[in-house]
Amino acid sequence: MKTFRMNRIALAALLVLSAPARASAALKVVTTTEGLAALAREVGGDRVQVDSLSRGIQDPHFVDANPMLAVRLRNADLLVDVGLDLEIGWLPPLVNQSRNGEIQPGGARRFTAASAVQVLDVPTGPVSRAQGDLHPGGNPHFMTDPRRVLKVAEALAARLSALDGGSAAYYGQRLQDFQRRIQAAEARWEKELAPVRGRKMFTRHRTMTYFFDWSGIVSDGELEPRPGVPPPPSHLADLVVVAQRDGVKAISVENYYDTKSAEVVSRHSGARIVLVPGDVGGEPGVTTYEKYVDTVVGRIAGALR
Amino acid sequence: MRTPMVASVLAGLLSLPSAAASAEAQPAQPPAQQAPAPQQTPEQRDAAARKKLEEDIARELGQGGAKAPAVQGQPAAGSQGQPAGAAQGGTGGNPMARLLLLPDVSAIGSFAGALDTYDVEARSPREGLFGPRYRPTPIFEEVELGLQSVIDPYARADIFVSFTPDGVDVEEAYLTTLSLPAGLQIKAGKFFAPFGRQNQQHPHLWDFVDAPLARNRLLAAEVLSGPGVDVAWLAPLPWFTELQVAAQNTAPAPEDEERLTGVGRLLQYFPLSEATTLGVGLSAARRSEATGAFRDLGAVDVYLRARPLASRSYVTLQAELYTRKLRNVEGESGTGGYAQLFFRRDAYWGYGIRYDRAPAAGDAAPGPEHRFGAVGIWYPSEFQRLRLQISYDRAPDGRDGVEALLGLEFGIGSHGAHPF
Repeated sequence: MKTFRMNRIALAALLVLSAPARASAALKVVTTTEGLAALAREVGGDRVQVDSLSRGIQDPHFVDANPMLAVRLRNADLLVDVGLDLEIGWLPPLVNQSRNGEIQPGGARRFTAASAVQVLDVPTGPVSRAQGDLHPGGNPHFMTDPRRVLKVAEALAARLSALDGGSAAYYGQRLQDFQRRIQAAEARWEKELAPVRGRKMFTRHRTMTYFFDWSGIVSDGELEPRPGVPPPPSHLADLVVVAQRDGVKAISVENYYDTKSAEVVSRHSGARIVLVPGDVGGEPGVTTYEKYVDTVVGRIAGALR
Repeated sequence: MRTPMVASVLAGLLSLPSAAASAEAQPAQPPAQQAPAPQQTPEQRDAAARKKLEEDIARELGQGGAKAPAVQGQPAAGSQGQPAGAAQGGTGGNPMARLLLLPDVSAIGSFAGALDTYDVEARSPREGLFGPRYRPTPIFEEVELGLQSVIDPYARADIFVSFTPDGVDVEEAYLTTLSLPAGLQIKAGKFFAPFGRQNQQHPHLWDFVDAPLARNRLLAAEVLSGPGVDVAWLAPLPWFTELQVAAQNTAPAPEDEERLTGVGRLLQYFPLSEATTLGVGLSAARRSEATGAFRDLGAVDVYLRARPLASRSYVTLQAELYTRKLRNVEGESGTGGYAQLFFRRDAYWGYGIRYDRAPAAGDAAPGPEHRFGAVGIWYPSEFQRLRLQISYDRAPDGRDGVEALLGLEFGIGSHGAHPF
């Protein structure tokens, strides 16, 4: 018992000596994607220092679990991730390596954006990998829907305020500004989307579910027969038939995907390939969330018209 | 010897929950009431008062006034404890509740076929996959069962049980701390020794079907591993620098007695560019063989990885040099190593070449044995791969031979991701 007490004191001393210097300076916010980083910048302004682990040009499913990233998590005051297993292949080992216990799932310094979002494509029946590499928790690609992104921004502002109460009013103000700008932009986007509402299109992967939910454009299928499974010729032939039958005019492909199968379907059906950035930072000039949605809406509406 | 050490660490950790509870019990100041003011702001006054209160409570709890920094900066009470995505359930609660608490369960099966044009057992004895001369041999290699989960907010557990033709063995089973301060992380249990790069990897992470000869001949017949404690320190530097010190009981060959082994490793990763990372590791180990007799091991490992960010393809260069020195022990000291280049073309195909050099064994004349290998991999999905490996082997006396290995591997369930 006595030795336990001694050890406890020694450990306590160690804890005090090594207390991470969480200075009053800007909160260090680390995000898994550039889209989330853009939101953190919108809400946090100059009171946060934002760093994204992946780049917008990367496929967020397949980022390397590079130990260099664990170093960046080590002093994070807040880790913002998408969730729904989007980052399952690389984030958990980095968080474990980081020694930052509070950014573990459910931790005080972990904010999982999906927790603020009404999730779509949640499997209701049995789940197995015979269905491909699907996300058992639901579709994680919700950044294409500005309504859901506003929910994320709101929850993020609340979390930042909880961590840095002194700046709560500031975060609240920034959030309001962001909401106002997005709502104004929504009017613009709606005008662009109105003529193509109800039109059908294909996507490469099931990345646009939330975009369709918001825009009223309708999905007529994915190039991948099942998530992560490469399309066999039979499936592509089916899509060509569907495209001709339904008048599908566009196939959206995130620019980190190979376009070979899309080109084949395009050639045989006349549907146009629409290359879109996968996230903020996915293309030069797409530096904010607003510009990202501008780009996606502009290209897809343009192709469907 | 190591049990009290683990116990004391656990005891120290166990003192944290009470501190956490006391911190959470503090009503948080609603942010709206915090108006900015000149001189000492109300927030600063509140912070000072709160700090004092926390110290008082810690004293009352018998913690000598020391506060636990691990719970500093908690968000307002009430914002925690609710799992992400928690929602109002239907009547009767969640029938899946028990399933939610299950650890991640996975199984990885590996099978192989071997064809050798030389007598491996006599001329190049090694652990691993080979068959009698000119006879195609199917081999059941292993089924690895993984159970992984966090234990509590302070630690996680990883358990890997290996089923092989020799029987069942706990390959690894260890606890890893998650929130020790000062960049420290402690691993306790049975684990692969932090020595070199490949020694810490389970076979399903290898690009090649079998281990390099040098690892077999110089480190351990299978893997240098055993029960013990490992302390890893992540240095506060802008690049990844980790220093590991471990004490564990190891038995290099199945017939060896388990003996205490001290292992040290310094691993660094340097970003050469956004797409290129260089890892360099230095390892040393000393196993006490008897009074005044030691088996000393040293290793240098290099890992260079280049992957264009927007691409699934990458190139890696991996090399390790091992050296063994036996002091007052029978047997030979020696040096060996391997270098391999691997190209992952896309999600579905990968190709590699490897050069291998190790002290010859069996009936071969003393000297270095060389092996040149090439591997081609097809990944039908992320959860299985089929590999064909062809190796050319030359003993010091000039006798040579070819080996073909076909390896099939699949994984089911949820198996935790690995750092690269």
